Amino acid sequence: MVENTLTVTEITRLIKNDLEENFSSLSIVGEISNFKAHSSGHWYFTLKDSDAQISCTMWRGVNNYVFFSPQDGMKVTIIGRITVYPPRGNYQIDVRAMQPAGVGELQIAYEKLKEKLQREGLFASENKKELPELPMKIGIVTSIGGAALKDLLSVAKRRFPLVELFIAPCVVQGSDAAASIASAIKLLNKQDEVEVIIVARGGGSLEDLWAFNEELVAYAIYHSKISIVTGIGHEIDFTIADFVADYRAATPTAAMEILTPEMNEITTLIRNYDDEITESMFSIIDEHKIQISSILNSYGFRNPVELLKLYSQKVDTGLYKLNQSIEKFLNLKKNRAELLSSRLSAHDVQKTLAKGFVLVKQEDKFVTRAKKFQTAKPHTLIFYDNKIQIDKNYEEKN
Amino acid sequence: MKKKTNQSSFKTDLQRLEEISTLLDTSEIDLEEAITLYEEGILLSKKCLVTLNQAELKVNELKSKIDDDENNF
Repeated sequence: MVENTLTVTEITRLIKNDLEENFSSLSIVGEISNFKAHSSGHWYFTLKDSDAQISCTMWRGVNNYVFFSPQDGMKVTIIGRITVYPPRGNYQIDVRAMQPAGVGELQIAYEKLKEKLQREGLFASENKKELPELPMKIGIVTSIGGAALKDLLSVAKRRFPLVELFIAPCVVQGSDAAASIASAIKLLNKQDEVEVIIVARGGGSLEDLWAFNEELVAYAIYHSKISIVTGIGHEIDFTIADFVADYRAATPTAAMEILTPEMNEITTLIRNYDDEITESMFSIIDEHKIQISSILNSYGFRNPVELLKLYSQKVDTGLYKLNQSIEKFLNLKKNRAELLSSRLSAHDVQKTLAKGFVLVKQEDKFVTRAKKFQTAKPHTLIFYDNKIQIDKNYEEKN
Repeated sequence: MKKKTNQSSFKTDLQRLEEISTLLDTSEIDLEEAITLYEEGILLSKKCLVTLNQAELKVNELKSKIDDDENNF
């Protein structure tokens, strides 16, 4: 017989002490099954291999540091300790850390998800939305202190400072990251004005970027009504998010560059419009000028002008002829006057007077005939050497 | 607030400028209409350049509402 009888509580306490003392620091490799992420934030799952299985818990606050979402079938290495739960009489592993059992495990998870989403049509090009031309309001999903945000801001400032940015901050690393990224995308979808969203993260290892390989993020991008550009990691990194996005830019910087015009480009564009409309205006004016001059040169318009020219020429000719006739006439008269004057000088009166003839003048006129002589009026006798005024009446004697 | 109207009007101004450029390029246009459009275009291009030169990047940080509609984990 056994000497000591123990109560259930007593034996459970002994087992608890034993197990918890001897298995306080374990590293175990196994496959995840029955994975449950409870709404409290705690994780519950079973770790198994072909012949055995063991219950595991991973508390909220610790599981934050796991960069991936564990999935059934994934082979992981965990670090933890055994705990005993007396009310149920069972033991489990309190998991402190979890890693994929190898990089190959992540690759497998990545490929599996990629294949699944591809089947569901999340990468189909007909489901991709077009990026807006010259978006003025850009949403950004990234971590607030990250290098990516710094790059995004400086590119926007340098290239096109007229743009307005809406940052939806999120966690980009750890197991919370996927949910955080997804809810940031949803938050931006509630802003009416945002025209396009950039989902960005600076470079890092596969583990660092893992959140962007999560199903949750993929669906959030797929269901976004606003088009999404990803700029995750470096050129060589292709995440699931990149495949779902409407446009994949190689880096955060490239993502902002694709959405913003270069300052010079847009100024040149405006100046070109300026030149174009000025040129058009000139050619419109030229066209009208040509139209006007062709109307002016048409026969209907030309005829009156030609007539006017014809008549004015006739008038000119007439005037010329008139001038000539007048001149001719004047010359004729001039010649005649000269002739007369020379004749007059031939019959110079003085010469006649010197011979002894006398001229009779009455009322300033020469009296050339006796019958014109007025006896009642005074008269002047003009001799060669002098004049004699005779005032008294001349009595005619018969 | 004023910035907002500036920003959104910049794009509409630019689109209008493009439109004017196309309109003036078509041959069937009235001279008076052309002159009005031309004046509008020149004013718009000046306005756009001024807006661009005076632009300052505007950044809004949204409050994240984690417990908004779903609570994972």
